[in-house]
Amino acid sequence: MENKSLLKINNMYKWFDATQALKGVDLEIQGGQIHGLIGENGSGKSTITSIIAGVKMPTEGRMFFKGQPWEPSSMASAFDCGVSMILQEANTIPGCTVAENLYAGHISKFRKYGFLDSRKMVRKASEKLADFGVSHIDAAGLVDQYGFEDRKVVEIVRSLSSSTELLIIDETTTALSHEGRKMLYSIMHKMKEEGKAVIFISHDIDEIIEHCTNLTVLRDGEITGHLSYEDLQKDDAIERIRFLMVGRDIGDAYYREDYDSSHEEEIALEFKDVSVSGVKNFNLQLHKGEIIGFGGLSGSGMHEIGRAAFGLEKLASGKVIRNEQIIKSPHDAIRGSIGYISKDRDVEALILSGDVRDNIALPSLDGLSRFSFIHPSKEKELVEAEIESLNIKCYSGKQLVGTLSGGNKQKVSFAKWTANDSDVIVMDCPTRGVDVGVKQSMYAFIAEMKKQGKAVLMISEELPELIGMSDRIFIMKDDKVQKIFERHPDLKESDLIEYMI
Amino acid sequence: MSKTFKIFKSNFSPLLWIRQNSGDIVSYLGLVLCISVFSVTSGGRLWSPYNIGLILESTSVYAMIALGAMFIYSMGYMDVSVGPQLGVYAIIMILIINATGSLLLGFAVILVIALIAGFMNGYVAVWLGVPSIVTSLFLMFIFSGVQILLMERTGVNTISANFNFEAFLRPEVIFTVLAVEILIVGYLFNYTKLGKYVKAIGANEVTASHCGVNTTFWKVVAYLAFGFTVALGAVFLLARTGSAGKGTGSGYAMDIMLALILGGMPLSGGMTSRLRSAVTGAFTYVLLSNGLTLSGVDVTVIHMIKAVIFVGVTLLTCRKKYGVLPR
Repeated sequence: MENKSLLKINNMYKWFDATQALKGVDLEIQGGQIHGLIGENGSGKSTITSIIAGVKMPTEGRMFFKGQPWEPSSMASAFDCGVSMILQEANTIPGCTVAENLYAGHISKFRKYGFLDSRKMVRKASEKLADFGVSHIDAAGLVDQYGFEDRKVVEIVRSLSSSTELLIIDETTTALSHEGRKMLYSIMHKMKEEGKAVIFISHDIDEIIEHCTNLTVLRDGEITGHLSYEDLQKDDAIERIRFLMVGRDIGDAYYREDYDSSHEEEIALEFKDVSVSGVKNFNLQLHKGEIIGFGGLSGSGMHEIGRAAFGLEKLASGKVIRNEQIIKSPHDAIRGSIGYISKDRDVEALILSGDVRDNIALPSLDGLSRFSFIHPSKEKELVEAEIESLNIKCYSGKQLVGTLSGGNKQKVSFAKWTANDSDVIVMDCPTRGVDVGVKQSMYAFIAEMKKQGKAVLMISEELPELIGMSDRIFIMKDDKVQKIFERHPDLKESDLIEYMI
Repeated sequence: MSKTFKIFKSNFSPLLWIRQNSGDIVSYLGLVLCISVFSVTSGGRLWSPYNIGLILESTSVYAMIALGAMFIYSMGYMDVSVGPQLGVYAIIMILIINATGSLLLGFAVILVIALIAGFMNGYVAVWLGVPSIVTSLFLMFIFSGVQILLMERTGVNTISANFNFEAFLRPEVIFTVLAVEILIVGYLFNYTKLGKYVKAIGANEVTASHCGVNTTFWKVVAYLAFGFTVALGAVFLLARTGSAGKGTGSGYAMDIMLALILGGMPLSGGMTSRLRSAVTGAFTYVLLSNGLTLSGVDVTVIHMIKAVIFVGVTLLTCRKKYGVLPR
């Protein structure tokens, strides 16, 4: 393995209006590295990488790529020079075919007498997909027919070419299915073998330790520490990383500490013979004070069950019942004090162009209003209380939600339902793209909900949090519940995975 | 995303404030600019009592309808049927007034028709699953057809009402009606579920429905509110002219849209919709036509000048306020 320096960043600063996002960052990436970047939301990871990839300009500081000054003007020009980035958000172009998405920006390669040779493009695209071992995606098909996870795979394939020397992966793994992750890991390791480099951003410390050759930790726009491969393999690595990230010892309390899976007798939510999309005759009784976890791969049917619980899906048969009322729409669900945290936060859960107050108060307006009149100060009071209790970092309730960091957005998504004092909360991937500090507070929060007698349906692709939080875990595969696990200290991920795949 | 705003009230940033409120600032500046420029170029004629009365009369109709249209535009929808609707309503009112002598009965009849049209605009589009512009176009054609049919029946080019509308032209009456409407719409728009929900629907309909908003119901309510203001506007339009013909009301749909845009209303609707857009926009729009004419600008080029001003204002106010931030 050669150790030549691929990318060097000297003393970089970045300001956004009055906010300082980077404060004198120095970083060096060498060939043959899978260089992890970790830090809480808002610590500056994505700012660094988007500057490297040509999305943003630094306010101060210089970069060198292969010894030459590096000042990319756009993502496309950076890509042509061998630096590409996979973003956290969905970034495919809707309404276009997979092939068109793969060659977006490079369509001119397929020009023939001034027309587009789309057959050649589809053929090339199919070959490219096959190179990555992706066989279930049709290059000629519309990208919209594929789910979030598959579209992400298309993005990964797009971001790589034979000339790519530095690949930046910005929190992509949380958006991927199990197969997609495996594919991405193998790409990372292949690049490492070839002496190229990967910058890998993730919130998942285990994932970082497993795959990275070294790690840089950021906090509030500054580098707080570097860990070598040897450091990462030590037993205390996780504690050390968490300490560097948060700047204090977050202690051991992370998931629920108790193993008391008792709950009240009263049924909070019941599924009776529910058939929805592929799932047939599903039955479930969720009790007050109970946390039920659903685990599985994304196509396993568990997300549909969550949506059905909130009245978002049309049921082929059966009914979802809460307090003897049948839930047929989100309107019914909210009247029945059910809340739903969508996994597609930016599209379904939040109004990005709205401020924090509008977002948090929206589900509560019905209850808050008197003859349709909504008292502004009551609304403000309600929201301020949630901002404080969930510790949402915003300059005031008037800050637009679109300008918040990922973790704070998710807190807003939570706050909508706590503000409405929902008794049943359905959470679909509640900690997707959220950093350790926020995760910890959310877990504490969910545990508190159980104590208050609220019922929680937690759907997650992260097994550790299911094991750590649930009273019962339903593992799903092929639209069926494969196995139900009871809460137990000895329960391990490997026990669950067996029934998932 | 690493962009955490750490701005507390203690270090309030004027730059950020200006950026977040750029639409409002530009629309107010536009109004002030129109007033000051035309005050000079018209040689003072802008401020003649006669002209002020004229401006007030024509602004009032625009403003009355634009206020109701806010509910529709906030949802990101638009309506193109207002023009022919106004024409038909004016004709029907004249016919009823001339037959019975009662303006109230005429108003009651057109209010019912306007509410039915509003219901169709709101509900049929959802029911049939077509974009609301389709039902709006449908209504536009229907009302245009009815307008022509009614006028053919009368056999004359214009019909006049045998009614003294003087009371409706008194500035204090116009002011009072407009003020009351602003208060009512302002209340509905800012302090009730209707206003909050239409803005939420415009900003993100999926999220709104996930928050328990019955979007179909509130769409219909919004269109009904709009229908009410169209009926109100029709009365004041008729009061100004006293007569109606095939051309009555034509162009109003676009005028309302332009007024809203000049007032800083984002065409996509959503959370940044502000009620003042309707009022400042209507004033700016009327001032533009009035001021340019008074300043001796050739009528043939007024449209060109309006076009340039319109594009300029749109660029400043209606562009996306913030893009999708990379994370």
